[in-house]
Amino acid sequence: MLIGLILMVGMVRAENVEHESILMLRFGGSWRQDQYLSPLLYKGLMVGIGNEWWQPFRKETKLGQAGKLDNWEHVGRLDVRFDWTYNPTQSNVLYALQLQTGWGANYVWRFVEHGVQVFVGPYLDVSGGIKYHAVSVNKPISLDLMVSAQAMAGVSYAFKGKKTSYRLRYMVRFNLIGVDYMPDYWQSYYEMYEEVLGKVRCAGMWNHRTLHHELTLDMQFPHSTWRVGICHDYDEYGQKNMMFSTEQVAMVVGTCFRYKLNPKKDFASF
Amino acid sequence: MANVRLYIVLLLIVCTACTHRFDGVEDNTPIGNMECLWRTLDDKYCYFEEKSIDWQKVHDEYVPKVKSVRSGDYLALFDTLANMVNSLNDGHVNIYSNFDISRCDSWYAGYPKNWDWEVVKNYYLTDYRIAGGAYYNTIADGQVGYIYVGSFEQVVSANNMAYILRSFKDCKGVIVDVRDNGGGDLENAYQLAATFFRQDTTVGYWQHKNGRGHNDFSSLEPQQLRKSKMPSTWLRPVVVLCNRKTYSAANFFVSIMRYAYNSAIMGGVSGGGGGMPLSYELPNGWTVRFSSIRMFDASKNSIEPGISPDVFVEDDPQTNQDEIIDAAVQVIKKCYKNDTSH
Repeated sequence: MLIGLILMVGMVRAENVEHESILMLRFGGSWRQDQYLSPLLYKGLMVGIGNEWWQPFRKETKLGQAGKLDNWEHVGRLDVRFDWTYNPTQSNVLYALQLQTGWGANYVWRFVEHGVQVFVGPYLDVSGGIKYHAVSVNKPISLDLMVSAQAMAGVSYAFKGKKTSYRLRYMVRFNLIGVDYMPDYWQSYYEMYEEVLGKVRCAGMWNHRTLHHELTLDMQFPHSTWRVGICHDYDEYGQKNMMFSTEQVAMVVGTCFRYKLNPKKDFASF
Repeated sequence: MANVRLYIVLLLIVCTACTHRFDGVEDNTPIGNMECLWRTLDDKYCYFEEKSIDWQKVHDEYVPKVKSVRSGDYLALFDTLANMVNSLNDGHVNIYSNFDISRCDSWYAGYPKNWDWEVVKNYYLTDYRIAGGAYYNTIADGQVGYIYVGSFEQVVSANNMAYILRSFKDCKGVIVDVRDNGGGDLENAYQLAATFFRQDTTVGYWQHKNGRGHNDFSSLEPQQLRKSKMPSTWLRPVVVLCNRKTYSAANFFVSIMRYAYNSAIMGGVSGGGGGMPLSYELPNGWTVRFSSIRMFDASKNSIEPGISPDVFVEDDPQTNQDEIIDAAVQVIKKCYKNDTSH
């Protein structure tokens, strides 16, 4: 059902609008520290599925025609990740399920003759998840919630191979300001979900640092387009002497669905 | 080729992202584990003041003991740390490892046992039925209903209670026996107690630690018991039996039942365990559980030391009778006779 939802959100978007929708699988390593639950650094694995879509603002673009290009595009994403991490002595396991979604707008500078695009823009991120300490005696849980305005920037480089067109893209995103959920240091697990709103605080770069960056290579074959890449996510926040962090490094494999794009147009032709 | 090189360089940059451990986390050494355990309890344990425990003195006493533990001798370290936390005299403080669980038994040592399941089973509860977590039957020639709940790990639902009380329809009263009940889920205690309340009632208070000082607590938060959804409430006498091993959620149940309609508590002093437990890990992966939230009865008295019964009765282990049940039967018969509401 979840996969269906992700596909639907990505693909049902504006059939008549030129856009790319990329369905991605992620797998890699995860490191977690949740001092509400434990002082220890947990290490383990993660898997995820997500969808990302890129779309010019105009409905019927003349992209690549009449020499006029749309300099604004928007990007949306929906990501579900699950990770299981172990403490250093392997005596406890922490399960975490996270949902991330967001929307951003980019201003794009195109350097057509070099195949380069540079983009910068704001991004609204909504993310949350639950963590569950499986072996500990009280089966405690913890919660992550954040809504934030972020800055996004990136660069892409398109080039042609013999039979394939490539697009190498690096993108980075980090938190500027928002709100997050900060569990009370003394709050019991039994009350974790009570009065959630009372524990929401202002979160900025000074007390909640996030960094998402990814490097991807899109390969456009005659009948399909595929993506490989690597992404790195870092999230750190806290108050008093209670800190939380999550770090994930994952390989990305995905497939691109390119709608209403001129079939002859490849990455390098703009 | 140049592109491939670029890709590899960028990939390496991404992969060198550092994961760090936050400051203030002790090393996984005997003394590091001891300091983490001591500090965790110093910050979060809720009964230092009430029990007049000098926790700093305990620290100073145990530092040389832990330092003398040979590196790698995990059993010696475990026993030393267990002794340290047992100085809190709290059944809710335990250290969990893969090879042992520490426990404190000083809180019930020296108290009369006041319970013999074999006697109850063979001489009172013969041919009993089981509904949820409750064993039940009528006793005293069908005049009194008897329910034994040995743990609140299992629920005795409103539906279970409806059937149980239906089988007691001709009884003059009911005995709810929670002796040797070591606790479990508070919600199950609430649910069982709700059968005996005519209306929503404030039955106690909680208080959270909200700072590192031993006296840093939130204000008292009232705990409301909601009346059972069953169509009728048990209005005839109800006697709750407890002993020193009535602990934790069962202790809270006894505390609640003092406010039930037509109720009495009989037996011995209950065990206490009035602190809601939390848990935390030590650097070596062991888990410490400890009381973190103080619970009070509706009169704002701490229930950590245990609840004194309305009627003290001691069981004689030499006989094949349960003197506490016998006394409760007499109380119910007397109350029923005096009560004109039935």
